[in-house]
Order: sequence, then structure tokens, then C-alpha cells
Amino acid sequence: MKHPWYHASLKIAPLVVLFLLPTLGCSDSVSESARSDKPRFAYVTNGVASFWNIAAAGAEAAAKDADVDVTVYMPDGLTDQTRSIEDLITRGTDGIAISPIDADNQIGILNKAAAATKLITHDSDAPKSDRLTYVGMDNYKAGLMCGQLVRDALPSGGTVMLFIGRLDQDNAQLRRQGCIDRILGREPDSTRRDDPGVILSSPDGQYEVLGTLTDQFDRAKAKANVEDTLTRHPDIGAMVGLFVYNPPAILEALDRADKTGKVKVIGFDEADITLQAIKDGAVVGTVVQDPFQYGYESIRLLTGLHRGDESILPSTGFIDVPPRVIDNGNLEPFWKTLKEQMATN
Amino acid sequence: MTSATAAIFEARGVCKRYGGVHALDDVSLSVRPGEVLAVVGENGAGKSTLMKVLAGVVQPSRGSVLVDGRPTVFAHIHQALSAGVALIHQELNLAPNLDLGANVFLGREPRRLGFISKKAIADQARQHMARVGLEVSPEVRLDSLSLGQQQLVEIAKALSVDARVLIMDEPTSSLSQQEADKLYKVVRQLRERGIAICYISHRLHEVTDLADRVVVLRDGRSVGELSGAQIDRDKIVRMMVGRDISQYYQRTPLAAGGVAITARSLRTSAFPSEELDFSVRSGEIVGLAGLVGAGRTELLTTLFGITPMLGGSLHVDGKPYAPQTAAEAIAAGVVLAPEDRRQCGLLLQKGVRWNLSLASLRKTLSRWGFVRPRAEGKLCTDTIEQLRIKTPDRESPVHTLSGGNQQKVVLGKWLATKPRVLLLDEPTRGIDVGSKSEIYALMHELAGRGVAVLFASSDMEEILGLSDRALVMHHGRITGEVHRDQLSEESVMQLAVAET
Amino acid sequence: MRANRLNPFSSLEGSKFLGIFSLLMVICIYTAISSDRFLLAANLENIVHRTALFGILSIGVAFVIVTGGIDLSIGSVVCLTGVMLPFLLTQCNWSVAASLATVLGASAAIGLFHGVMITKMRLQPFVVTLCGLLFYRGAARGITKDRSQGFGLEFTDLRSLATGHIPLFGDVAGDFRLPATTLLLIIIAIIAMVILNRTVFGRYLFAIGGNREAARYSGINVDRFTTSAYVICSTLAGLGGILFVLDINAAQPSDFGNFYELYAIAAAVLGGCSLRGGEGNISGVVVGAAVMVVLTNTINLVHPEYQKIEFAIIGGVILAGVTADALVRRLVASRNRANSS
Repeated sequence: MKHPWYHASLKIAPLVVLFLLPTLGCSDSVSESARSDKPRFAYVTNGVASFWNIAAAGAEAAAKDADVDVTVYMPDGLTDQTRSIEDLITRGTDGIAISPIDADNQIGILNKAAAATKLITHDSDAPKSDRLTYVGMDNYKAGLMCGQLVRDALPSGGTVMLFIGRLDQDNAQLRRQGCIDRILGREPDSTRRDDPGVILSSPDGQYEVLGTLTDQFDRAKAKANVEDTLTRHPDIGAMVGLFVYNPPAILEALDRADKTGKVKVIGFDEADITLQAIKDGAVVGTVVQDPFQYGYESIRLLTGLHRGDESILPSTGFIDVPPRVIDNGNLEPFWKTLKEQMATN
Repeated sequence: MTSATAAIFEARGVCKRYGGVHALDDVSLSVRPGEVLAVVGENGAGKSTLMKVLAGVVQPSRGSVLVDGRPTVFAHIHQALSAGVALIHQELNLAPNLDLGANVFLGREPRRLGFISKKAIADQARQHMARVGLEVSPEVRLDSLSLGQQQLVEIAKALSVDARVLIMDEPTSSLSQQEADKLYKVVRQLRERGIAICYISHRLHEVTDLADRVVVLRDGRSVGELSGAQIDRDKIVRMMVGRDISQYYQRTPLAAGGVAITARSLRTSAFPSEELDFSVRSGEIVGLAGLVGAGRTELLTTLFGITPMLGGSLHVDGKPYAPQTAAEAIAAGVVLAPEDRRQCGLLLQKGVRWNLSLASLRKTLSRWGFVRPRAEGKLCTDTIEQLRIKTPDRESPVHTLSGGNQQKVVLGKWLATKPRVLLLDEPTRGIDVGSKSEIYALMHELAGRGVAVLFASSDMEEILGLSDRALVMHHGRITGEVHRDQLSEESVMQLAVAET
Repeated sequence: MRANRLNPFSSLEGSKFLGIFSLLMVICIYTAISSDRFLLAANLENIVHRTALFGILSIGVAFVIVTGGIDLSIGSVVCLTGVMLPFLLTQCNWSVAASLATVLGASAAIGLFHGVMITKMRLQPFVVTLCGLLFYRGAARGITKDRSQGFGLEFTDLRSLATGHIPLFGDVAGDFRLPATTLLLIIIAIIAMVILNRTVFGRYLFAIGGNREAARYSGINVDRFTTSAYVICSTLAGLGGILFVLDINAAQPSDFGNFYELYAIAAAVLGGCSLRGGEGNISGVVVGAAVMVVLTNTINLVHPEYQKIEFAIIGGVILAGVTADALVRRLVASRNRANSS
């Protein structure tokens, strides 16, 4: 009655052990910041991404410099983020820096946090809440820079498709809108919102934005979106990947379709693959934020506020950490610094 | 029966078609208060459909149902209930995960201030259960009871609605003799109280005992009605099958061969402190009699390796035998046709072919793990022909077959393994008269080929008619052994209730 | 009887396959009419490639569903193998063979664990694999410290396993080149079909799903075969995870493979598997996976403005599919009843 398949599966069991051992070996142990009387701050991201690892490194560097404790939370979606804030309020903390996923709908919980402790936002703002200030870049402005890259890459015009993880967060909407507005040569207006499914043309008819496709952070879907776009619009001029993993997904699909270099790719953020592709010429350029500064500035601000120093609050209500365009001209020094920042984490 | 009493409940010219099939064709009957009307017929004769029409479970295609002389349409079984018509269904309609009280009052729980009153339920349920002689706490879960006890709960449930008309569909098919006797008493009491009872049964002796009138159905039509002194068993059988099979237990006892299976000090999980000793010889048919809960099923499943053996020893053909699984039992030549065919015996949704070959696939019908379709097909064709299994083709799902043919499929599955010892648990439960005799003939034939047959049955006629020898169990013990020449209802009953 | 066996469409299973296949054809024809790009070789390549990736997961879960079980952990197993493979290769510098063997072995071990918990501890499959869904996701995030894992620009040879094409048809099929993953799917599907329909093992899986107790009473080692089904399911999920990550080049522990168990189960159900067990056929499951893939392709090619309601469209089509199936089934049943009179 012994079935051969069963035996095969039994023999596999020891492999589990094999499988677990190396993973322990190659991951260094997680350092727990010791409990102390130092001020404790929370740095809350809007998800899990390598981008946030750099920001976390910045936050931790600031914590070290200022001799405070910081805990980094990388929530898994809106619900998880809201719950994290609730827990932080319950537990008590000396300050929270947060990148709200859906600012307009989180006003309630953000105000509750602002009442309980010092609250600032970073990366994505919640202007309608009682947050003390915002550390980050103007996503709309970054979008404009992205759009400028497109125009530069397609000097005589062409069609453009935008790819993004999702559109239900404020920074994504602004970034996309800025990009579109510049491509079409419109007057900047950060309150404008175009429907993602509508084809938009510039007044002179040279540039056409074919639409914006979302993938809900599913990378297989991100790639499929690009592939289907290539199928539908074989003569497309440029593709813009607005979230960190979108440019690599675009490159992957182009490579498969043998169209690398034939379609202009404009990126956002600094995935290794994106940077390498800039070096190789497959990507025109990318707009990078400075996540390390987000982390560092957030904790520096919170520390100051905690010590009662209101003067560090900027009169503009927001601390600008401006985005930068990275292209073949300035890639090398940027990449070097980035590697150093990652290494310290 | 005074003709002055009008019929309380009546069916006139009822027809029911399923697709192109006439399940019922122009059937009329009526019941008066204080009367037991029996409806008999082979499986497929239309009895169950008739009962469903009467109770409002299905709507007739033509004809009408009348309560108190007024035509009534029951859109739903609840409407039938509120008109005082209750159906006790063949398949149990109970929730096994609830306690007895909850089952009795399911859907009409006594409430206090909108909350279910557990105490009221328990008190009232206890009264209703006492009326069917069920002495169990209303707070035990239904699935902790035997099938027989569950059937009594269903009857108690119907009694609790104060029905004026009670439709009972095979109510005793899973009861032991003792429990059935209790039920007969209940039925008679209900008749005294003026309740009209419509009673379907395969057990002709209870029909002849209980019924005031008998309606016989065949192929969806009413073929006759007998009343009072006309009610005679042989006459009924003739009307049912259209031929005479009064001799269906006939058999010439064979010279039994050597011992096929022996148990020494066998202890089963049902009664761990009791030790069982017995043996069955090749070519012998041994009946296992006893009341429900006497430990017969557990004995059979232990012999088959399904429930663990707690002690003692077994030998098959002289070789030690200690099955841990059914696979080991089958390898040693011991097979079991279980009590609950639908639950444990058959893949109901699958075809006859799959069911017949299931137990012999690995050993004889495959090569290198691949099924040999031709060998399998031949086995099926042969078995269907040999056992006269009535099926449109060998791919028909077995749930579409009648109970008798389903049991033949179970037996066919085991015949293919060439067993040495055939165990059967209630081999003819829910099976109509015609198929019953075929199952009996099959058991005889197997015994004739040298198979040792051990069968448990709650049907006294079956024990008396089939056994070369009967083992009688009471509360986990074998209280006695009766040989064919001494077999009688009294000798078996005395041992079964162990009033020594 | 013989005719019945030879003509697959006269059986219930055959009619179900025909049903789902027609649904696929309707969607394809609609898309082909609405977009002249749909039938391009490159697009068809994309479709069969994506179908292969999801189809492999769906075939795995079909084995479990046939036995009457369910596996909710598939997406998390996809994630675990998807991040472990680049992790072992790039962070731990293991050899390709050792990494693949370890990752596949680990997924098989996960299936074995599920099977043992379900059969020996008598836990419900839903519960065991739901805990698996949470556990493996957490493990993947923990092991990688929540960092995206990828191959960067290396391992292009290994990656061609998922990204390569096979010039199988020469010039006959025009520009169409068969993706390597599709060939893999075809091989796996054929093996799965043979196992389910031609072997004793397959018959036993159906028997267990049809009626567990009856299978046990017929001498089948129910626990052992049930466990095997979970091993097959998790192993194929692990293989799927490997192919996904090789294809996409990077995997993010927090969302890689999210919801894939539901796509797989939906494809299996669309393809004719009954969640009650005992029913299912592999060709239907593969077509079911294709339906889901083509639907998203249709939305992208024809109605990108509907991308917002993509899930609603997929859900609606699946519901319509299974409803139509139920109606057809009822019709067939009543006709059979009429015929058998």
C-alpha cells in the first residue's frame, strides 16, 4: 500500500531544515533599540519598499545624532496604517512622522494623533489635518520635472502612457497630474484631476497622453500592463513609470518585445535596475526624491519639537526636500552616495 | 371503521410527472380519523412521491389533495404542518449538531421575551420523547445517538406538532425489533386518539399487524386496496410484484467447510471490557442478531479494520489476522458491506464502473499504477450482468439507482476482490421486496462458493430465514448461539434482551 | 457505453469543458473584433505565457480541490519561493541547482506539512492553509527583512527558463514563438491529466473527494493520498513562484503573489472543479486560467478606461460562468431523467 509519491515527499522533509539554516545564517540579527528614558518617535511609511529602507536609514541616522529612539513602521495598506497609528496613540509616543496613504480620509485619525502627540507628515502631505508640518517634496512639482523629461526625450512630440501602482493616494495623483500637465504644456495647476482612462492631447496636437494604468502593486500585473500597451500601441513614443518598481517592469517588457531603446522610458525613484538602465541608455532619466533626507529631517524636526523648540517650524508650513533629475550626466556620484547610505543601514 | 366518519385527508386522481416519467398516475386514497392506512409497493412504485405530494413537499402535476373535504394546495411543508399534516421522512431531516430538544422544536422554539427558553424546550421535549419511549436527556447532541434513536426523535418531533394526519415513510427501517415494537405501540395509541395515519413500509408483517386498510402501488398506479380480513401477506406481495415470491427465504443449507474466521477474546472499542469468541466456517451464513446498540456494528467494523481492536486475537484461514486498516482486511480476504451504504459504501456521484472497480484497482486492474481500462470495463460488464444490476449504463451515477441496486453495486465491488469472509451490516435496509430476494440469493450463492458470510440484521424475519446459525448479542456480549433447527423469534428475542 | 467514453462531450465533464471553452472563445472573439491588436503574435505570446504561470498554480490547487480540500496558502508560497530564490542566489551566493532544489523542496515540505496537519491532526484544510497564508507571507518578509529581492542584471540564463521562447513551429506559425513557460504548462498539464484520469492514484483522489468514508471502507489509504495532493499543490505553487520571479526579475515580500490563491481557485472552479470534491478536469482548469488572463488583456486592449472596475468585471464573468454551468447541469439532469424513463 505504500505509495511511491508519499515516500518521495517524506524524503523532502529534511530539506526544510536545510532551507531554514542558511536563512538564519545570512540574515544578521535584528537590533532592538534598548528601552530607555530617551524620547521615542515613530516613523510610519505608507508601505514596504526599498525606498523606505533608505528613509529608515535616514531616520535612524538622525536618531543616533540626536540621541533619541526611533521605531520604523512599514504598514501593509491603509487599514494596517490606521491601526498602527491607533496603537501608537494607545501606547504613547513622543512624536510621529507619517506618510499618510489616503490623507483626506485619514483626517480623523491624524487629528487624534496630533492631539495626543507631535505629528508631522513626510513624503505625502495631509494639509487638511492638524499636522505641525510636512517634510517632503512637492509631488506635483516632481511630476512636472518628470513631464519635462518626456518632452526632452520626444522633442518633436509623440504618444505617452503612464504606469503607476495605484491612484488612490494623494502623492500619486499629484505626481501623475504634474507629469501630464507638463507633457501637454498646460499652465501648472495642482488641483486639476484628469480621468485615467481618457486620452489627452496637447493643444498643438504634438503630444498625446494615452492613459494611466494601475497595478495595485502586483508586479506581474505591472508588467502585463506594459505588454498590453505595446500590443495596443506598437508605435508608442514614451512610457513613464511613476512608482519605484514601474520602470523595471517597463524595461522587462520592452526587453521581451525587443523594443529596448525604441520606446523612451522615463522613471521615478532610484531602483538599481532603473539606474543601471540610465547608464546603459535604456532609460532617459529618473526623478528621485531624497528618502534619506525625509527620514533624517523628520526625526530632527520631531526631536526639536519635543524639546519645545517651535522656531524650527518653517513659516511656509512645509520643509522642502526637493526632487532631483538623475540622468547620464549626474548618475555616477548619485549612485555612489546611495550605496553608502544603504550600507550604513 | 364506521362509514359515518368522513375522510379527514384525501388524494384524488393525483398525477406527478418528472420529465417524461409518470412517477404517479391517477392515484386516489383517503384516510379517516383513527385509521391506519398502509401504502405498500416496491421501490420505484411511487410511494415516496405520493407521500411528498400529500405532505406538500412537491406539487402534483394533476389532481388534488383535500383536507376535511376541501381542496388544499400546500405551497410549502410548513403550510401542510399548520393544516395538521406532518411527514416523517425516510431520510432523517434533523440537525446532527444540535441537541434533541432543539431538534424537536426546530423552527418553532418556545420563547420567553423573544429569547429561546432552554428550560421550556427541555421539559416539553422530554414529554414528547417519552411518548415514543425514548429515555434520553434532551440535552445530548443528536449525533451521539444511534440511527434508530434518531428516527425516534424524528417521530417525537412530528408528534409534538399535534398533527391530525401523520405520514410515516419507512419509520422502522432503521429501528431494532424492540424499538419497532415501541413504535407500533405509539402508532396504535395515536390511532386510539383519533389521528389518521398514512404508513409506508417494506416490512409486510408490520403492515399486516397495524393497518386497517392497505393500498398497493405498482409503477405509479394504485393496483388495489385491501381492508380488514382481506389483508394477507402473500396477497399483498403478489399485488406488489405482480408475481408470487412467497418463498423468498427458501434455501437448502450447505455442508459448511473449514473454519474461515475465528475470534478469541476479541475486545472492541464499543464495549472494551467484553470479550467475544466465535467463528464462522466457509460456506456458512451466520446471522448477528441483537438490539440497536448491542455492539454488532462495532464488531463488524473491528473485523474489517475500521475501528481498532483492543485485545484478543483473530485468525483468517488459520493465519493470524490483526487488521489496522480496511486495506489490510481486504488483502486478507475480509470485506464489509456497511450499514450506511450512502455514507460509507458508495461514491454516490460517480458511475457504476468506478464504484465496482474501486477496491480491486490496485491489485488486479492496473499495471505500473495505470488503470487498465479494458480489464476494468470487462469486470463491470460481467458484474452488472451477474448481479443483474439495473442501470441505464455503467457510467450512470449510483445515486440514480434504487436502494437494492446500490447494495448490489457494493456487493459487486467486493466480489471483484474474491473475498473469503463477507461481512454485511443490515444488508437489506431500505430495499424493496424484489431486490431483497436477489440480495438473499446472492448471499446464498456466495456461501455456496465457500465464502463465510456474517451478517447483522435488525429484521427478525431475515435472521430467521437466512441464518444457518445465529449469534445473538446483548450489550457487547454474545449471549448465545442458536442453530438453524432451533431458530425461532422467541429463542432469539430472549437472548437479545438477555432476560435470563 | 463505448461511444460515451470516446465522445468526451456526451459526458457531464465534457459538457462543462465545452461550456468554459465557449466562454473563452466568446471573450476572445469579442476582443479580436474590438481590437485588431489582439491576434498579433506578440499579444498571443503574452497571453499564453501569463496563462502558463497562473495555469500551473491552478493545476496544483485542482488536485487538492478534487480531494475535497482547499489551499489558501498558494499566494504566500509563491511569495516565499519568489523571494527565496533570488535571496539564496544573490545574498547567500548559492549555486543555481542548490537554490532551485531547496526552494522546490521547501514548497513540497510545506505541502507535506499541510497534509499531515489535515489528516493526522484532523484540522480543517481551510484553517491549516489560511494559517499557512499568513505564516509564509510573514516568513518571506522576515527572512528578507522586508526588502525587495531580485536578480538585478544577472542570471539571464536561469531567467530564460521563464522569459525564453522555443522556436517550435519554425515559420509555420508566423511570428509566434512558443514561450518556454507555455511548453512547461503543456507538459505539466499532460502529466496531471494522465495522473488524474489514467492512474490508480488519480482515481483514488477522485474517490476521496467523492466520499471520504466510502474510500476508506474500500481499503484506500485516505490520509496518504490526501497528503500527496497537498504536496503536489504546494510544489506547483512553489514552481509557479519561481517562474513568476524569473519572469518579473524582482519580488517584493509584502505583495508578491497576493491573491494568487484566489485566482487559482477561481480558475479551477471555472474549469469545472467542484469545491465539494470529486470533480474536476485539468483541461478545463487551464482554460479557466486562460479566461482570467484574457479578461485583463481585453480590458487593457479595448477598455483601459474600465481598469478601475477590473475586479468587478472578472468577478461578474466568473459568476455568470458558474451560473450558466449550474443551469446547463440542471438541464442535462432533467433531460437524462426524461431519457431514462
